[in-house]
Amino acid sequence: MTRRTCCYCAILLLSLSVSRAQAHPHVWVTFHSEILYAADGIMTGIRHAWTFDDMFSAYALQGISHAKKGQYTREELASLAQTNVDSLKEYDYFTYARADGKKLKFADPSDYWLEYKNAVLTLHFTLPLKAPAAAKAMQIEIYDPSIFVDFEFAKDKPVSLSGAPQCLATYDLPHQPTPAEQARLGQLDSVPLDPSSTYGEIFANKILVKCP
Amino acid sequence: MTRSRAVALTTLAAIFVACTTGILSASSAPFGAPHPAALPMPGVMGWIFAEQAAFYRSLSTFIRAAKEDGAAMWELFGISFMYGVFHAVGPGHGKAVISSYLVANEETWRRGVVLSFVSAAIQSVVAIIVVAIAAVLLGATAKAIGLTVHLVEVTSYVLVVLIGLRLVYVKGRGFLIACRELTEHRPPDLAFASAPAAKSLSATTFRMSERPPGAMAMRGGQCQVEECTAHAHAFLCHDDHEHHESAWGHAHGPEPAALAGAGGWRRGLAAVVAVGLRPCSGAIIVLIFALAQDLFWTGVGATLIMGLGTAATVAVIATIAASAREVAGRIAKTRAGPGMLAMRAIEVGAAALIVVLGALLLAGYMASEQLWMFTG
Repeated sequence: MTRRTCCYCAILLLSLSVSRAQAHPHVWVTFHSEILYAADGIMTGIRHAWTFDDMFSAYALQGISHAKKGQYTREELASLAQTNVDSLKEYDYFTYARADGKKLKFADPSDYWLEYKNAVLTLHFTLPLKAPAAAKAMQIEIYDPSIFVDFEFAKDKPVSLSGAPQCLATYDLPHQPTPAEQARLGQLDSVPLDPSSTYGEIFANKILVKCP
Repeated sequence: MTRSRAVALTTLAAIFVACTTGILSASSAPFGAPHPAALPMPGVMGWIFAEQAAFYRSLSTFIRAAKEDGAAMWELFGISFMYGVFHAVGPGHGKAVISSYLVANEETWRRGVVLSFVSAAIQSVVAIIVVAIAAVLLGATAKAIGLTVHLVEVTSYVLVVLIGLRLVYVKGRGFLIACRELTEHRPPDLAFASAPAAKSLSATTFRMSERPPGAMAMRGGQCQVEECTAHAHAFLCHDDHEHHESAWGHAHGPEPAALAGAGGWRRGLAAVVAVGLRPCSGAIIVLIFALAQDLFWTGVGATLIMGLGTAATVAVIATIAASAREVAGRIAKTRAGPGMLAMRAIEVGAAALIVVLGALLLAGYMASEQLWMFTG
């Protein structure tokens, strides 16, 4: 009896720990980002090009009227692009920037449009900084803390610089957690993070711009 | 005795720990869950997570293939099933609610399996209906569909909370009654006077009247409510009779006959309808993608099979929860009064958990999938 009970307990605990919540992304985004600099070497914003996966693209296109089957013009997609950027505001455009460690704020996007090519949608938008900033080390991260959306650097030249020839941009894939981070991850159930925590950032797609 | 007590305590602790980690982990997911693509998590978890993402992403390839070649449809269905199995391990799909419900309501594992399948079937059918009406008939946009799904979702969560509250009320009373039983130390002759009679009859209300008047005055009022007359929760009153003699007159709740009764099934169905109402976002996206490929019916097939896979996973977890409770019940049986009380406490706890889960879902803390991040 005792043994059987223990067995049940073990199975129950195992199954529930397996069911430990993992969000399931239903949107995959591969992105290109261009960091914009003014002539005087001050960063002014970021120009994103986010390409959605084919299934989400089809979902987003549902009900959008278009003249030619299988083709959508920029005009036909204008209202959807508007909806996209409006909805993204709530999620801070999944873009987080720090100038020498100090958090920067973004203004509403400008110059946004959708492009439909090869059965996928690409959202182009420029995210201007509220106040342009200069920094020796500019760190930009693109990720969804709730991982409903899976962000991934595009394969070819995902990061570029515009107007800052003296600076160097590098990018970093989300790293393997260190043993300490691993341990912290394991404790999240018993010791949850406080809501202001930025712990999720270690899993972000990082861009680093270094200027002399 | 001390040993069985230890075992009982371990089991109870295990159930609670398991349930609470379920909630905590779900709510901490936004911070804790690592980046899926880039972070190969260690062990089973990471593997399951990677698998479900891979299956999901290959769905579009197979739907496209099915357009060219009808035979690819079978592969698509196979992938859909596997995706359902792996996908359901993540949050949502009512695992926690169904499991808590089974524990709170002394349901058998068989019923757990049936309920899991019914809820998954409802989930698939709701997704199909939403897409069929909104997208196929009305040509609605993703925004409108997202809104519809959200409304259905909120309805589902409200129903979950209501079902939980009702259970807390019913089970809370059961607990209080058990509490009183334990503290009262009634003279044995009085207890035995009613016990054999109670045993010989099936559990119905009118047996109350066979009670000694003293007991009636004390407990009758608590029992003469709709549950008893409707037979829906006959076991509550049932307990009331039976633990006079042994403190645990029966192995696990209602007689099988009472369970199979119409009332019993109806009560289970209410729970799975509440849980199953909420369609899976993945299914909605797959259906619309299939529709865009002019393969709506293939999408419908894939969605139903996905539901079958989901049901398999949920059924396994529900079975484990129900079995654990059954074992705990058997142990509690050996511990007369306190064991009974502990079981009632577990039921109240599980019922409260349903309320908490429903409330968290409603408040958006546990949203497992969001369709409106880009589409409003």
